[in-house]
Amino acid sequence: MPGSDVFTGTLDLLILKALTWGPSHGYAIGRWIRETTRQALVIQEGALYPALHRLERKGFVSEEWGESESGRQAKYYKLTARGRSQLRTETTRWQSYADAVARALSVV
Amino acid sequence: MKKTFRLSDARPDAPRDVHDEIEFHLAMRTREFIEQGLAPDDARRAARASFGDVDTIESALRDDRDERQRRVRRREWWGSIWQDVRLSFRALRRRPLFALSTISALAVGIGAAGAVFAVINGVLLRPLPYGAPDRLAMLWLQAPANMGGGQWPLSAGFYDQIRRENRSFASLAALRSWPGTLGDFEVTERVSGARVTPSLFPTLGVGAMLGRTFTEAEGQAGGPRVAILAHALWQRRFGADPAVIGRAITLSGASFEVVGVMPPDFSFPRGAELMRGLQFAPNTEVWTPLVFSEQDLQNYGTQNLAAVGRLAVGTTPAQAHDDVDALVAATLEAAGSQLEVGNEVVLLRDQAARPVQRGLLLLLGAVVVVLLIACANVAALLSARVNERRRELAVRMALGARQSRVGRQLLTEMLVLATVGGVLGTLFTLGGTRLLLTLAPSDLPRTDDISVGLPVIAAIAVVALLCGLAFGTIAVRRVRASDAADALRTSTRSSDSRGVRTGRRILVTAQVALSVLLLVGAGLLLRSFGRLQDVRPGFVASDAVTGEVNMPIAGAFDIQRDSPGWARFFEAFVSRVAQLPGVVAAGAASAIPLTGSAEGSSFVIVGREPERGEDAPRTAYVVAQGDYFRAAGIALLQGRAFEARDVSDAPRVVIISKALADRNFKNENPIGRQIRAGFEFTPDGGPREIIGVVDDVKLGSLDGETGPTMYVPESQMPYPGLNLVVRTSEAPERILPSVRRELRAVNPAVALSDVRTLEDVLRQSLARQRFTLTLIVSFATAALLLAVLGLYGVIAMSVQARRHELGVRLALGARPASLVRLVLREGMQLTGAGVVLGLVGAFAVAGALRALLYGVSERDVGVFSVAALVVIGVALVASWVPARRASRGNPTEALRVD
Repeated sequence: MPGSDVFTGTLDLLILKALTWGPSHGYAIGRWIRETTRQALVIQEGALYPALHRLERKGFVSEEWGESESGRQAKYYKLTARGRSQLRTETTRWQSYADAVARALSVV
Repeated sequence: MKKTFRLSDARPDAPRDVHDEIEFHLAMRTREFIEQGLAPDDARRAARASFGDVDTIESALRDDRDERQRRVRRREWWGSIWQDVRLSFRALRRRPLFALSTISALAVGIGAAGAVFAVINGVLLRPLPYGAPDRLAMLWLQAPANMGGGQWPLSAGFYDQIRRENRSFASLAALRSWPGTLGDFEVTERVSGARVTPSLFPTLGVGAMLGRTFTEAEGQAGGPRVAILAHALWQRRFGADPAVIGRAITLSGASFEVVGVMPPDFSFPRGAELMRGLQFAPNTEVWTPLVFSEQDLQNYGTQNLAAVGRLAVGTTPAQAHDDVDALVAATLEAAGSQLEVGNEVVLLRDQAARPVQRGLLLLLGAVVVVLLIACANVAALLSARVNERRRELAVRMALGARQSRVGRQLLTEMLVLATVGGVLGTLFTLGGTRLLLTLAPSDLPRTDDISVGLPVIAAIAVVALLCGLAFGTIAVRRVRASDAADALRTSTRSSDSRGVRTGRRILVTAQVALSVLLLVGAGLLLRSFGRLQDVRPGFVASDAVTGEVNMPIAGAFDIQRDSPGWARFFEAFVSRVAQLPGVVAAGAASAIPLTGSAEGSSFVIVGREPERGEDAPRTAYVVAQGDYFRAAGIALLQGRAFEARDVSDAPRVVIISKALADRNFKNENPIGRQIRAGFEFTPDGGPREIIGVVDDVKLGSLDGETGPTMYVPESQMPYPGLNLVVRTSEAPERILPSVRRELRAVNPAVALSDVRTLEDVLRQSLARQRFTLTLIVSFATAALLLAVLGLYGVIAMSVQARRHELGVRLALGARPASLVRLVLREGMQLTGAGVVLGLVGAFAVAGALRALLYGVSERDVGVFSVAALVVIGVALVASWVPARRASRGNPTEALRVD
């Protein structure tokens, strides 16, 4: 499949980011990631759910069953205050990481 | 996205939770593929493929959820327990009286039981501090039946023969006491010593902490003079200096080399565990080798050794007994003796426990009774309390609390009470044990081994836990769902169910019965003690002081050579003391009354030699010096006492006791008759002439027999150790410094030790009985108080319940006095039943006390009646108080229906 593997830490980051748009269920998060990265990032959908459960255990997201737009019952995840600050921290770290790699690679 | 959040029903079911979530995802993905044009089945398959390994992921998620749920549930459970505990404290704080009475009843009961158990654990249960102590046994000879059949020490001859020829002991050791002096310092100090064969330490399985124990060579005649120190002596007198090994110390005037120091807590032999007559000190401080000369090994008649052995593997004490029996019998037969001497093989732990076992078990019984009464009180208090809370509990259950939850809360409350009671009880046990040890008689064996250690605390914890669980179960049983509606319906006036009331009455009756039991026991012991104190000891205890004076003897001694020196010393010393101002009379004796230290021997009246096959009569004998009889206050009945003219080369004389005179010279005058004594040190001295008769003296204990006694003068049969007795015109202790000065002037190497007044001697001889008595009386009092409290509670509650009825009676014109009588009758019914039960029980078990009583029958009617009357009297007062309150009640208030 085209696109690169997504490391676990990055997946968590993407999920948190996805949730800043409001509570979503696992499927919607997966779609968001696919669409916003323009198919460049392909994730194993199965990896989403362990990641979501892990985030819930750490207290970055909270979960709740609700009614989806299709009428079915779905499990919604919501960003908590801790999750928000975690997102900020991780984003900053990711940026510095990415900048560092870019700088290294741009040396001719 | 449409967001709708509902108060969804909980999905505690982890598998469904995970499954539904994944299903939703797959369904949405499938729809996506369908929109892209795939057939439904293909779409579904594509969705699954795109997801990944659905089953593995699902089961992993499911396990994770399960684990988390389990952890949450556990935390919740602990949280609810903690909440129960907090609620319990809050509930108890709201009713401080209930909490206080319950906790104190439990604490006192548990504390007392704990203290007694600590003593019993130390004295009876704990293994002795030696290697494999269950294989250790003491070996004694046994006196013939016509001489009492008691334990006799071994003689060197018997010991050596048994040691060589036995087949049941892996090793055997002999020991005798040695009252030596340690003379390295300005003050010559008396030390408790023991002379032991080198085999003692291997037999006991204990090695030296520093240095070594004796070698076999050191136990042979002519071997070096060596000594081993006890840990306590090493710390006290030698500053715990490790360089003490190899140092020379002066024991009883001779130089000994220290070769070892024993570990702490080792002080075998401990006098309280062995025969009194052998005069071992309570703790041994120094050991030196016991050496037998050729002469000693031929001597089968002088019995002065204790022997301890390690039973061979697989040998029982009974087998060892039979083995030794055969050896002893063979020896006696070979010697042509008709004596039927047996032997006793007593396990070391039984030897220590034997004299006190009965008393201690009695104590345990008494304290268990007190504990039971305390528990009965708590049970009564508890049932009253649960009843009070019926409304509260019913309301709680109506609001949805589960019955089990409420029950658990009650159980927690009881456990909290029991825990607090147990902790307080442990404090009481610690204090109580220390108190018991200070009160305990000095001859209570193994006091060193008594401590509040792990076994005692564990026992306390178990008892407290059992109490808590028992009471909790009672409380929980009361809480039944059907009570709920009932409790809500009734008026605020709380009334007990019939069953509860009957239960409480039974409890009170039982309490009264048990306290009657204890009171009877206490009364019997009290009366017995009084009888003991009335016994005429035969001497005058007031205004006299005594102390031990022992000649320093470093090792084997030569009687011919040394004894004149002893006689001279005591003659000089005692006569100097007699001339001190304030001294009425001074004397000395080898054994003073009530100490059990007199030795015994046979004798023959000249002209009345025993027939062949008949055994010679036996007597105790005492060596006396100076004005002993006047000093001790022993009355001279006939003839004269010893005087200055009774020197060593003067005619040999003897003074006999009244018992000996009555038994052997019934209608004749004993003065002038001749006696040949079996205890003479120099056997060829010839018979002695009786010159006087003195009053009988209790040589052993006040409740012992008065046997015949002979007195010989020190000048004619010198003894190396005598007890000085000085009668003074003023306070006896004041004379002591002068006495010590005179002693130093005559011989500075001799020490005055074990100084006490004759009053002390008298009092200490009753120490054991006094100890038991004090404890039982305390327990009986505690039991009575608790029972009376219980009775008061029941009557008060009954009056409360009958308020309405009593009010009606008053309103209808009844006199207050008749109401009082009504309530009193109820109290007396309960008490009467309890007293009768108690008396019957006491009658049944009184036999257990028989061995401890003196001069009192265990079914003494007086004691039984007094005990019953005391209980009835006290119960009357306890019933009267609520009765009076009832009669004073306001009828209108009582009649008010609420």
